[in-house]
Amino acid sequence: MTNTKNIYKPIKAKLTEVIDESPLIKTFVVVPEEEFSFGTGQFIELSVDGIGEAPFTPSSSPHVTDKLEVTVMKTGYVTEIMHNLKPGAYMGIRGPFGRGYPVEKFFGKEVIILGGGCGLAPIRSLLFALEHVKDNLEKVILCYGSKTPTDCIYKPLFSRLNSIDKFEAYRTVDRADDEWDGSVGVVTTLLNKIKVDLKNSIAVVCGPPIMMKFGTIRLLEMGYKDDQIYLSMEKNMSCGLGKCGHCMMGEFFVCKDGPVFTYNELRNTPDIWK
Amino acid sequence: MQYLSIKKEEWDKAIEQLLLSYTIFAAVDNEFGIDYEIVSPENVSGISYNKAKPATSLKTFFLPVKENVTSGASLKRQRVIIGAPNCDIQGLKLLDEIYLDKDFYDIFYQERRENTIIISIDCFDKQEHCHCSSYGIKPWSDADADLSVIRTGDLIVLRIITPKGEKFINQFSLVQVLTDKNIISEIDKSHSKAESLLIESNKGLPDYKATGVIVKNADDEIWKKYSTNCVSCGACATICPTCSCFLLIDKPGFEKIKQLDACQYPGFERVAGGEDSLGELPRRFRNRYMCKYVWKPQKFSSIACTGCGRCIEACIGKINKNELFMELAPGRS
Repeated sequence: MTNTKNIYKPIKAKLTEVIDESPLIKTFVVVPEEEFSFGTGQFIELSVDGIGEAPFTPSSSPHVTDKLEVTVMKTGYVTEIMHNLKPGAYMGIRGPFGRGYPVEKFFGKEVIILGGGCGLAPIRSLLFALEHVKDNLEKVILCYGSKTPTDCIYKPLFSRLNSIDKFEAYRTVDRADDEWDGSVGVVTTLLNKIKVDLKNSIAVVCGPPIMMKFGTIRLLEMGYKDDQIYLSMEKNMSCGLGKCGHCMMGEFFVCKDGPVFTYNELRNTPDIWK
Repeated sequence: MQYLSIKKEEWDKAIEQLLLSYTIFAAVDNEFGIDYEIVSPENVSGISYNKAKPATSLKTFFLPVKENVTSGASLKRQRVIIGAPNCDIQGLKLLDEIYLDKDFYDIFYQERRENTIIISIDCFDKQEHCHCSSYGIKPWSDADADLSVIRTGDLIVLRIITPKGEKFINQFSLVQVLTDKNIISEIDKSHSKAESLLIESNKGLPDYKATGVIVKNADDEIWKKYSTNCVSCGACATICPTCSCFLLIDKPGFEKIKQLDACQYPGFERVAGGEDSLGELPRRFRNRYMCKYVWKPQKFSSIACTGCGRCIEACIGKINKNELFMELAPGRS
């Protein structure tokens, strides 16, 4: 059997718009030059020509296939250069990689989403995907926390979600300002405000490791079973192909076996929150 | 298994002839020891037979240290490798599982595999740190290589293992079926002798499975103790026949350079923002053992340490993994 597809070669994508989300976060709208689609929760490697690439889960709807949006926090070398790119520039895309959210498994259920910080990017894509199939879902509740109100991205998203039938969205910040009208406190406190039918519910957790750890602990305390909790894990995903070894977490390649895992799959893997 | 034979002199001549159509590499015994060289009429008579492993592992032929994986040149000619020991051939099986994975084929690796004929050697002796038998690997190959070659006096004895090997050997017009039972019996004796040597010198060394349990249960003190002399040079991973982690480096024009990497280097798992789960040396050191003896066996069907012992030979800090395993072997305290 001879394969000819080069798994390492990126496809070019034109940057058409850059949206400022917060002082450190921008959303890049890119139009791939070749046919490209992804499943919600899968990730791509987005590259700056000649500089480097980094893994991101697109924040746009998987049902929009002519362009995709990638929300990027300025955190390191590549993302800093990315933040200086202007519309018209060409970027590289490899992927999509890994196992995303199994949306069809959520049919007939309540979906509780616990998000923190930049974790809202993949969650926004999931929310679009869930909206697309909302007739098959019981309800969708988003509980989102950020450090401060200025760190809270996609602000119009919350009012829009609250206007969609079956959807509810709550926000909290660690430190409020005078104009803040949401809750104050860590994101898990929002879970006290919502009513869930435990037997018919699944929970999705996506955010910084510390938030994912305490979010998972709280969900378990609430009575969620290990296989009802979906975690979107993040490591140093480099090749995306289950080969380069940089994202190994126990026996798993996060890039290929994940990035979405149930807690049941990871519960015996040490150091998952590091 | 059928044995074939050809006179050593005729074999050397035939190899020389084949240089017109193939690039041939062979383990050659030179003043520095045994290692692979490109075969030419000048060194064909120096090809090493029946001796334990070349310094470099077979991996090098399939995973170059650095390659362009977006516009890399393809192999122009078929290659033949003479002298691969069974430990390396078993290591290649793991690389096949990783790089010829059904979801993501590495076309560069695939092309090299398809265009390479592997001729294994039978190890009739052992080097100081050889311990393949402890991990269930024999010091000779009767599967997975394409052919095997043994030297007995002025005869070269061959075993055909795959159709690819058979096709290759059909080019040697003077090869005959070996019927001399004494020679076959001598080969069998040499096999047994090599195995006995390995077993004797590695007495008490836990097997692969038991090593996994030892590694999994080893506490932080063990990793601190054995990593004290580690300078994170990555020689153990570079020389290893199964370590195959890599880094993708971007070049202008959306080109990618794939370069071998190692979890022993600082920053291997560092993410943007600086978090590094393998930031501390003992954690990095432990990671390599966990990967080889615990995680890879959970994920793949092939062994991730073949007992070649090269990591022990290559370590400038003189770290001997087998001392760690012996210290923690069941029944010792």
